[in-house]
Amino acid sequence: MAARGAARRGAGAGPGRGPDPQEEPPPPLQAVLVADSFNRRFFPISKDRPRALLPMANVAMIDYTLEFLTATGVEETFVFCCWKSAEIKEHLQKSKWCRHTSPNTVRFVTSDLYRSLGDVLRDVDAKSLVRSDFILVTGDVVSNFNISAALEEHKLRRKMEKNVSVMTMIFKESSPGHHARCKEDDIVIAMDSATNRVLHYQRTQGLKRFRFPMNLFQNSIENVEVRHDLLDCHISICSPQVAELFTDNFDYQTRDDFVRGLLVNEEVLGNQIHMHVTTEEYGAHICNLLMYEAVCSDIIRRWVYPLTPEMNFTDDENQSYTHSKHNIYRGVDVSLGHGSVLEENVLIGQGTVVGSNCSITNSVIGQNCKIGDKVVLDGAFLWDNVQIADNVEIFHSVVCDNAEVKEEVKLKPHCVLSSQVVVGPGITLSEGTVISLHPPDEEEEDDDQFSDDSGVNKEENKVKLKGYNKKDVGSEGKGYLWKADDKNEEDEEEQRQSLWGKEEICALPWPNYLSFLSLVFQNEVLGTLQRGEEENISCDNLVLEINSLKYAYNIGLKEMMQVLSKVILEFPLQQLDANLDSQNYFSALLPLLKNWTPLFKNYIKRASDHLNALFAIEEFFLEHDSLCTSIAKVLMTFYQLEILEEDVILNWFSLRDTSDKGKQLRKNQRLQKFIQWLEEAEEESSDGDQD
Amino acid sequence: MPGAAERGAELREQMEAFVARLRGGGGRPRSEDTARHTLALLRKIIAHGHWGSAGELMELIRAEGRRMAAAQPSETTVGNMVRRVLKVIREEYGRLRGRSEESDQQESLHKLLTSGGLNEDFNTSYPTLKANVIEAINELLIELEGTTDNIAMQALEHIHSNEVIMTIGYSRTVEAFLKEAARKRKFQVIVAECAPFCQGHEMAVRLSKENIETTVMSDAAIFAVMSRVNKVIIGTKTILANGALIAVSGTHTLALAAKHHSTPLIVCAPMFKLSPQFPNEEDSFHKFVSPQEVLPFTEGEILAKINVHCPVFDYVPPELITLFISNIGGNAPSYIYRLMSELYHPDDYEL
Repeated sequence: MAARGAARRGAGAGPGRGPDPQEEPPPPLQAVLVADSFNRRFFPISKDRPRALLPMANVAMIDYTLEFLTATGVEETFVFCCWKSAEIKEHLQKSKWCRHTSPNTVRFVTSDLYRSLGDVLRDVDAKSLVRSDFILVTGDVVSNFNISAALEEHKLRRKMEKNVSVMTMIFKESSPGHHARCKEDDIVIAMDSATNRVLHYQRTQGLKRFRFPMNLFQNSIENVEVRHDLLDCHISICSPQVAELFTDNFDYQTRDDFVRGLLVNEEVLGNQIHMHVTTEEYGAHICNLLMYEAVCSDIIRRWVYPLTPEMNFTDDENQSYTHSKHNIYRGVDVSLGHGSVLEENVLIGQGTVVGSNCSITNSVIGQNCKIGDKVVLDGAFLWDNVQIADNVEIFHSVVCDNAEVKEEVKLKPHCVLSSQVVVGPGITLSEGTVISLHPPDEEEEDDDQFSDDSGVNKEENKVKLKGYNKKDVGSEGKGYLWKADDKNEEDEEEQRQSLWGKEEICALPWPNYLSFLSLVFQNEVLGTLQRGEEENISCDNLVLEINSLKYAYNIGLKEMMQVLSKVILEFPLQQLDANLDSQNYFSALLPLLKNWTPLFKNYIKRASDHLNALFAIEEFFLEHDSLCTSIAKVLMTFYQLEILEEDVILNWFSLRDTSDKGKQLRKNQRLQKFIQWLEEAEEESSDGDQD
Repeated sequence: MPGAAERGAELREQMEAFVARLRGGGGRPRSEDTARHTLALLRKIIAHGHWGSAGELMELIRAEGRRMAAAQPSETTVGNMVRRVLKVIREEYGRLRGRSEESDQQESLHKLLTSGGLNEDFNTSYPTLKANVIEAINELLIELEGTTDNIAMQALEHIHSNEVIMTIGYSRTVEAFLKEAARKRKFQVIVAECAPFCQGHEMAVRLSKENIETTVMSDAAIFAVMSRVNKVIIGTKTILANGALIAVSGTHTLALAAKHHSTPLIVCAPMFKLSPQFPNEEDSFHKFVSPQEVLPFTEGEILAKINVHCPVFDYVPPELITLFISNIGGNAPSYIYRLMSELYHPDDYEL
């Protein structure tokens, strides 16, 4: 029996074993596994079961992660749990990882105080858990990657240049459009092809255009590669410095914050991030249900070999499967009724009974499920003990533990029935329906919390208080509809986004927080410009400063444009006097505009930018009635400085759907004259073209 | 006995590591190494395990053996070695009880019919059994070491001057066989590359280093080239009880082409690859690996719409095979059943 190493563990941590702290050289490879996602993407499913324990092809996600770590040679893993930590601990203690023959020692660190990855790493630093380079993963990574090559590279880099490179991120090559790439996690990376150094890291967030800082290409780096064919595996090799950096920078919450912060401050801190690209091995991070579906089907299709179901890597007797043609996996004691067909890519867990004349394809069925007759399952993910009655059709949906689907129910794609829900009989759930036993309105009460550990106890009472809506869940149904009705379509979108991650997501979900941010941002921009005016700073530097502000406050390009226009137009009012008449106002504005033309030109490029700028100008003049008369002059100046194009101005002018005030504004004589002049000019020029 | 407990823990750890390595299935281990590892582990179990009589020991070996064999069904060598050890225990036990060896080996129709009642009891404990069994296992290990050489020694009987030999993929046994022949004779070898893993390339490189005239060709050309070939010499992963092969995928094509052109197909395989299992519908010997080599994961959109498979092994029926060359000589497929009854005890066919 190895000595029980009680070295620094969090309060309430379970028993763990490990080698004596004395036998240090060479330090064992350590890993930090964060078994909490710190978001609610899997709500309401993760209300009943922490995300790390959700079954992927009937095996908990965290088992895949631990198997990956063990196979790659990790000898000590710290599992950090927060939400439902007891369940995770219980699961792991029963698993093979806690047997004493396991080459990988698992230690638990639990705390309810973790609110982000940043907190976890700060705790790692505070307790000085790691001694040398460690692997940082979340509990929802599925991979068969062998880290040793990347680790060697990392160590070599650390040796060559003392402690400059702090992190190596692992990426998997996979071209855009791949089913295992999710929109939300899509990234664009600029790298130094000679050294694999990450120069720029950006999430695409559905944008069509990207900006790269100019200095990227002006530096002495010979070959800069910009890559969009990479999938972030969320596996990173970190040096102990990473934890220290998290401690030093209290605002780092996520790994993205860290990467961004490090890249922006590269000159200051002198730290670099490198990357390792793998083409052969598999690695994916399950961040939403769409990824869940994709990764599940990859496991069934054996992309993650040797982590396939029939390998039974968890060494659990209930998990032995036989693999036969067309990727059909069958557990022990599976009974298949007369005339039922398992077409392809099907996994059926132990003790499941399938009735007659069923057709099952591309599905995963858990243990001890009961499936009736004439059931059609395509892309269905049924967890354990699910009851499906006769004539049910399920397409691309998830049905959690102990749920029951009654006769003649039809589940359209992307439905989710969380555990113990009952639906039916005889209803059709429209696309994207989410039903849970937890009433959805509880959401709002604890919405300001980042992690999900409150409001659990209250639920019981609530269920009794409120009845179930029979229209949503059928006459014998049990469960609350989580926003999927036609009435509130927006919510439905939102819900599906968060669970399935299908649509592009907006960066900040809290509207008031957002507007607060943009207000602060506006003030900052104003301050920058004032300083620029006073100290005569060149426009290039101003652009640089504004850009960094933009990243710091996470402001979109569109909003950025509006803020900038507004700030500049307000500038004379702020500087001189709030009660300027239009004449003086314009004369004060003119030199400023001329000075800052490059500024505008930097941000106004597309037609939509022009339009946004115009809207901002319009808004400003609507707010300041007294200055209305100068709008024509201002526009004229913009036109003459070639900031705005005539087409766009005409376009804006002819827009119909404006408010009354906007119409009033457009009736302004000078403006009309200006427009007329523009139109004539255009006609002339087009005439000229024809000649 | 703290020492024993420690050794027990160490043994458990080694077992787990071995099972994990089998499961991982990476790195294409040599069957011979696997066989040696299995034997070494079993020897340790016999030396350190808790058992009183031969019956208990056999149960112990069987339980561990089942676990090891289940870890990677396609590695039949593991199960074969377990059966060999069981047979050794039976023999040693029989010898200690003073039974002559011949009577045990004879397998007549009469014995088959009456064997049900003759179940031996293995309950008597003999103190010398442990040492005897370990001694016999050591002999087995020595036998393992010589297998490749024994097979290679027969090369000159089969390969003649100026022959054209075809082979597929990379087999160490075949490599040794051809190299041995090349010391005396001049002949030409055509290697089918065995896509998608292309082990054939490695084979060709190794052969050409020995100054053997070697040509690599794609698997698709097997049939076209077959008419020029005098002999096909291949290796295999497993020989099944009916004389069929589980060999690297592509071998079935090769065997069919050889049959069509009436070219003799010779299989070089050591005896430890002979498995008493029959091919069954469960496909349990099949091994499908990641389809990465067939269609790279980087392909993108198309992967969501198609299924890609990458089987590692082919089933080659016995009627396509002319001759097996093992470390104990050349045999026809129809004789395999006999060899099997010599190597394994019928009660051990099912672990």
